[in-house]
Amino acid sequence: MAMFKADGKFAVLIAYFKIILTYRAMMLIHAIRLLLLPLVLASAWLSIEKTASNPYSDSDYLLYYLLVPVIMNLTDSRVVFKFSQAVKDGSLNRELLKPFPPLMSYLLESLANNALQLLYLVPFTLVFWLFVRDRVLLGHLKPSLLLFFVVAIIIGTLARLVVSGSIALLSFWIEDVTTLNLILNGGIWALLGGMIVPVATFPENIRHIAELLPYRYMLSFPIEIFSGRLSNSEIYIGFATATFWIILFAIIMHIIWKSGLKTYTAYGG
Amino acid sequence: MFNMPVMNEQVHEYAIVTKALNREFKVRLKAEGLLASVRNFFSPASKTVNAVNDLELQINRGDIVGFLGPNGAGKTTTLKMLSGLLVPTSGSIEVLGYTPFNRDHAFLKSISLVMGQKQNLWWDLPPVETFAIHRQIYGLTDAEYKSRIDELIAMLEIADCLETQTRKLSLGQRMRCELAVSLLHQPQILFLDEPTIGLDIIMQKKIRSFLLDYHRRFNPTILLTSHYMDDVAALAQRVIVIDHGNKVYDGHLTDLTNKLHPEKIISVLLNDGEFVCKLEDGCRLIHHEGQHYRFMVSRNRVPELAARLYATGNIADLTIEDPPLEDLIGQLFTPDSQSR
Ligand SMILES: Nc1ncnc2c1ncn2[C@@H]1O[C@H](COP(=O)(O)OP(=O)(O)OP(=O)(O)O)[C@@H](O)[C@H]1O
Ligand SMILES: [Mg+2]
Repeated sequence: MAMFKADGKFAVLIAYFKIILTYRAMMLIHAIRLLLLPLVLASAWLSIEKTASNPYSDSDYLLYYLLVPVIMNLTDSRVVFKFSQAVKDGSLNRELLKPFPPLMSYLLESLANNALQLLYLVPFTLVFWLFVRDRVLLGHLKPSLLLFFVVAIIIGTLARLVVSGSIALLSFWIEDVTTLNLILNGGIWALLGGMIVPVATFPENIRHIAELLPYRYMLSFPIEIFSGRLSNSEIYIGFATATFWIILFAIIMHIIWKSGLKTYTAYGG
Repeated sequence: MFNMPVMNEQVHEYAIVTKALNREFKVRLKAEGLLASVRNFFSPASKTVNAVNDLELQINRGDIVGFLGPNGAGKTTTLKMLSGLLVPTSGSIEVLGYTPFNRDHAFLKSISLVMGQKQNLWWDLPPVETFAIHRQIYGLTDAEYKSRIDELIAMLEIADCLETQTRKLSLGQRMRCELAVSLLHQPQILFLDEPTIGLDIIMQKKIRSFLLDYHRRFNPTILLTSHYMDDVAALAQRVIVIDHGNKVYDGHLTDLTNKLHPEKIISVLLNDGEFVCKLEDGCRLIHHEGQHYRFMVSRNRVPELAARLYATGNIADLTIEDPPLEDLIGQLFTPDSQSR
């Protein structure tokens, strides 16, 4: 246990696990929300006539939308909502008064939430998979691919977190960041991240833009890896691009945090 | 790398020193909708409120100081600056040799701010779990934790509410648990913002005697705001009164009350009939409704007058009280008393 420093992070994480488990009904509702849209989208894509230029087969679409809820959840962070609330009602005060990194608590809550959500999502996904099992091809899967897949999920989670975090921190100035979040992190993410249309099936020039922006790495990219459609060099370029965005937004977050604290008026009391 | 400022190596005479401390608030005129929010982001329409004005404070280690003032005087704002939540607009603060707004961990480990009953407690967890989390965050050893928590539980009589989800606790239970969390790391400075607000008289008394007892054992510096005269009278030897962000009095509480209000209030409820005593020097009727009378009486004449009232045999109830703190404070803010 010498490696493990008991500085409260683990205790806080466990506390969030406990709290979230007392809100199981909320988790189920959230799971249904995560599963429903991909299900609708999958059936839409399966029912339309594919054009010759479309690289995706029915099997590709099925696999893609089977994985969307799980990836969506893993890279989904509620920090924006939570943080803007904390600024508005002054509950950020309590974080600022403790000898503990003030944003850590929001991060750990998000992490606990996403991890526990898997308890619902994974069984549901497996059940869906059983139904379509003979139409989804998984023969290409090998350990190295799975490793890339896991790394891509971690990178995607981080990317989503720093982009969401930057928007969240704007709460210091903007009363209602949820609207901004809905546009930048909801709408644009759904379009360019590959929620509505898988990025690989975008028209060539739009696809190039999407590959440069951070959104693809929060959703489409891990699934593209899993489906075996990317070469190693494409994977490495993807990692590098996502890492660039993560570093950039981490710096942005740091700057916003420093100047935001000076404008923070610590409501309450 | 030590995060400790060089200053801290000296022994500080004062726990808290502020110089020309100011805090303004820009009160933003509210913007509706995203577009207006974005426009407001670049060119805010606002007015300025001076919450704290050129405040000079020097507070000795181990003192209990009462911080008084009417609503909106700037008390909470001052506590927030002293605890590092708010950056001052100008002026300097030194608390235990630290600049609070830098929020050094060593600084945060030596203070506590209690502001309302759900500042530190986790709302969805029982208090005992919050204690355990705090223990980790503040890096207490098993032995420290055990002895401190046992002592606090006994002093605050909270053994029976430790396992109940915080949201289900009563106000008084929550306040006592809140105090326990806030004191677990044994802060050298304790900022208390209206610790007895909303509590009944018995609970107020319990909190007060706990604070006195705790202070006697561990001698922390305590800065406390309250609207209850009794809190301040029981706890603080020294009071600082502020109004509209300006310090208007700094000294002993007894000096303040004697100077401002050399009188007490006697309330009388008669059994029947009317009050027949004639009013003398140092005694005047301030309220009369049915059988109920209230007199303002010079302090030195209170015992004698009360005895005489009882002697009439017509008294159903008689109470002697200090004038409300608000009245007292109010006197400080009349133009003639400000010129002092
Ligand atoms: N976050 C804030 N934003 C804007 N104005 C504020 C803010 N906090 C306080 N003020 C203003 O600053 C002034 C001082 O407020 P403060 O809360 O310090 O008063 P107080 O002495 O604690 O009063 P009370 O006894 O009512 O608690 C008030 O005019 C208040 O409206
Ligand atoms: Mg206040």
